[in-house]
Amino acid sequence: MRLTTMGVAGNFETSIVGILTAESLPPDQRTKRIRFLAPCDASDDENLSGYRALLSHDELQSVPNMPFVHRLRESDHLKDGDIVVLEGNAGLVRSLYRPYEQHHHLFVTERCNSNCLMCSQPPKDRDDVDALTARNLELINLITPHPPYLTITGGEPTLLGDNLFTLISQLKLSMPETELHILTNGRTFAWPEYSRRFAELEHPNISLGIPLYSDSAGAHDYVVQARGAFDQTVAGLHQAARNGIRVEVRVVLHKLTIPRLTNLVDYIYRNLTFVEHIALMGLEYTGYTPRNIEALWIDPYDYQDELEEAVAYLAVRNMTVSIYNHQLCVLRPSLWSYARKSISDWKTLYLPECETCSALSACGGLFQWAVKKHSDHIRSISLSQPGVAQKCL
Amino acid sequence: MDQSESICTPDAPRAVVEIDRSMVSAEALLKTCYWFTRDFVCEIRNRNEHVAEVFLTPRNPASAFELASAKNAFTTSAMDFALREKIEAKTSGIRDLLLAKAFSESGVLEDLPEGVFGDTVEEMKPGGMFKILSNPKH
Amino acid sequence: MARVFYPIERFAPVPPTFHLLPFRFTRLNGKELLVNEAGEFLFVPAGTVQRLTNEQLDTNTELYRDLKAKHFVYDESSSPLLDILATKVRTKYDHICGGTKLHIFVVTLRCEHSCEYCQVSRQTETRGEFDMSTSTADRAIAMMMDSPARAVTLEIQGGEPLLAFDVIQYIIPRAQRQALEKGKDLDIVVCTNLACVTDDILKYFRDEGVKVSTSLDGPAFLHNKNRPRPGGNSYEKAIEGIERSRAILGMESVAALMTTTAASLDYAAEIVDEYVRCDFHSIFLRPISPYGFAIKTRHRTGYEMGRFLEFYKQGLAHILKVNRGGYRIAEVYTQILLTKILTPHGTRYVDMQSPAGEAWNVLVYNYDGDVYASDESRMLAEMNDFTFRLGNVHKDTRRTIFTGDAALQLFQASCNQALAGCSDCAFQSYCAADPVYHHATQGDMYGNRPTSGFCARNMEVIKQLFSIIEENDRETMRILWSWVTGESVRNEVVECA
Repeated sequence: MRLTTMGVAGNFETSIVGILTAESLPPDQRTKRIRFLAPCDASDDENLSGYRALLSHDELQSVPNMPFVHRLRESDHLKDGDIVVLEGNAGLVRSLYRPYEQHHHLFVTERCNSNCLMCSQPPKDRDDVDALTARNLELINLITPHPPYLTITGGEPTLLGDNLFTLISQLKLSMPETELHILTNGRTFAWPEYSRRFAELEHPNISLGIPLYSDSAGAHDYVVQARGAFDQTVAGLHQAARNGIRVEVRVVLHKLTIPRLTNLVDYIYRNLTFVEHIALMGLEYTGYTPRNIEALWIDPYDYQDELEEAVAYLAVRNMTVSIYNHQLCVLRPSLWSYARKSISDWKTLYLPECETCSALSACGGLFQWAVKKHSDHIRSISLSQPGVAQKCL
Repeated sequence: MDQSESICTPDAPRAVVEIDRSMVSAEALLKTCYWFTRDFVCEIRNRNEHVAEVFLTPRNPASAFELASAKNAFTTSAMDFALREKIEAKTSGIRDLLLAKAFSESGVLEDLPEGVFGDTVEEMKPGGMFKILSNPKH
Repeated sequence: MARVFYPIERFAPVPPTFHLLPFRFTRLNGKELLVNEAGEFLFVPAGTVQRLTNEQLDTNTELYRDLKAKHFVYDESSSPLLDILATKVRTKYDHICGGTKLHIFVVTLRCEHSCEYCQVSRQTETRGEFDMSTSTADRAIAMMMDSPARAVTLEIQGGEPLLAFDVIQYIIPRAQRQALEKGKDLDIVVCTNLACVTDDILKYFRDEGVKVSTSLDGPAFLHNKNRPRPGGNSYEKAIEGIERSRAILGMESVAALMTTTAASLDYAAEIVDEYVRCDFHSIFLRPISPYGFAIKTRHRTGYEMGRFLEFYKQGLAHILKVNRGGYRIAEVYTQILLTKILTPHGTRYVDMQSPAGEAWNVLVYNYDGDVYASDESRMLAEMNDFTFRLGNVHKDTRRTIFTGDAALQLFQASCNQALAGCSDCAFQSYCAADPVYHHATQGDMYGNRPTSGFCARNMEVIKQLFSIIEENDRETMRILWSWVTGESVRNEVVECA
């Protein structure tokens, strides 16, 4: 599902964040809204003051004297209640939040101090922290209704410094029941001072999702392309736990992480026993991955032995484990109970083979970019296959 | 080692193990004998500065086969105790440090992380929130 | 500035040399078994220790990567993460924290049984003479609550404690009130043969949240042989008592322990089957107590220990078979050792700790106020050996008890890290120290390892368990892990003698 579109903009001094409304609202309800004008809403027929900005797919008849973006390339992805940011006179319209979706993200920076070979959000060395923080603070104000979960992601969120603490404090104030999950490489947490300050925020519902790719420092550092990263990440996990911060470990499964996967989960069990969850994740064919595909690609169907061994290893030790981003046809049935529908709604795709599959409703599907690269073993599952009925009915 | 047992007569059947004193220290030899004293009376004699002899006299009647096995077992065990001594020599310092860390108050004996923390943007800021720790090795 | 990808050599250079981290080793089944300071183990090919010590091991191998990940070696290419290793070591010693957690109150010596292995009971009807007085109870409760532990277990024993039910009723509310005042969690267990239990007693226990632990030595013929009483019906009374207790207290509040005697040694499978028949889900194949015959007869424990080990192996094999058949029952001694071997944790079981749990983690308050380091310490006193009598509640405080000569002498011999034979042993992390046992059987708290029954037993059982672990049969390991992680084995009822 589309995230951005472009149009022609005018009258912007700065970026504007607002909630889309396609309906006309009384003046006292306009302050948070961006008015989306349909062709039949002629802009001179109503007094439009009080809205933050105007949006229109078509050309507006007369130039408004307030911020506007018209002649949008696409607009059918925009719905009432969506929160969007209009990025100034460049004319970019970016959807930030869709209330009807299951998964929500707060994107805080493109900067990162790692450079993972399979990064789905390749970093940019441009200081966007102040601008994005201002935008996100506004976004937090506008989010309604409050979602049960919110993921904070980037880049590397801890590079925000104090700004991350500001965002978390604001979230604690305005939606304390919303469970926050921060995707971070955890390296900053290795500094005890940082972990302590983070814990002092005392957010009641927060956890960290930290990737670890090997039990071997060199192998992990190679995957994340940063020397010393393994040492810092492991130390970071410890400091976080010691300060009472809940942590989860994530592992992306590919050719570099599969060979020692059981060694890795054993390392987690013995050294990071406090982690509350381990997520074993399928590779996303996006971002850096296509460039590094030779080093990374292994058909998920071909690593079921290793995956089953690692999952059994953790399960027998009472560690909570989930499998993300894998299709049920590619997983062994013994692993189906660990598979979650984890792909964000706007990324999900099903192939033609999927149309006749009995497991469709239980399966998480594929990523949109999977059309370019996916397992050779995607196939329709019939109801008569053992285990299918239990999982899918 | 008990040297007063009446079974240690000159003609009592026993195993004799030759130990290279440059490979196995007196302490390692004593430790080995300790474990064999349940079933054997152990006598150590230094034949010369290079070789020690250990006389293993069984406390209960033993066959020639059992004596030969005991001799092999003793030799292996002595070499293992020699290895343990080497390991201890190499690791006792770090073991002390480790146990000190394990039983000290939280934070008192901890090391700060090594390596560089930030990304290139952070490194260009003179007064950023994070102090950049650079590791000369990198 | 565009980012560049670097090859693996930049991040994972092959280190030219490496350094050792502390570890112990032994030979097992043709391989070498290495155990590091945090009790983590690794099986390696024979000859590896030699190569490690002479720095001849190839660092560009999976074996080297295994050794490094498991904290046996480190090199210059990354940090040894000593603080992580130190944390793991500390976790293994969690049992030291907090001070004495188990407090055994011997409320009476009176008992209507005359079990062969019991040294302490008195066959008298007279109340008072061998019962705990209220003033003694008061002082003992105060001393218990003086322990810094946040959670304490009050275990009521005898003789047969139900013969002094009035003393129990005196103790429980006072202990509960003081626990509340001090903000401590309090668990209460009564160890009883259930022969004279009534519904009223059980209802009282139910209302006060008290758990019951009883003796079940095996099928009727064995149980009655071990535990004579007037009428010869100890077994029938025990079964009846178990049923009544379960009906009123609930299944989870009733546990059974067996005492292994020479007579038991031929009936491992039958004993297990009896536990299954009675719907128990844990059984403790405890070693024969040496305090019965070994002390009186000065008999060498070698033969008995050999027979016990045979009994244990048969018992374990049968228990695993029962589990494979779908009935879940855990063996507690195995579970304790496997917890130490397979998990990052130590054990709360006071008889398998180093530093030893005696005195540190358990105190026994006798009916007359004398304080002992363990139940066995009290049994020794019955034979006029007061080595491990630490003091008396009427004369001592916790401080004087722990700084008294008896306790200090005991502590000096309590760490297997510092005992001859143990200091180099590969199984040190999994085993324990037991000064009371060694004093009782060898006349020396420190003990002589090669002739020690304690050592022989633990070493042999640990070797057996490592063989099972190395074999790695999936179903067996799944069963064993379910014992380690399962919640149905409650440690606090396990300490009953």
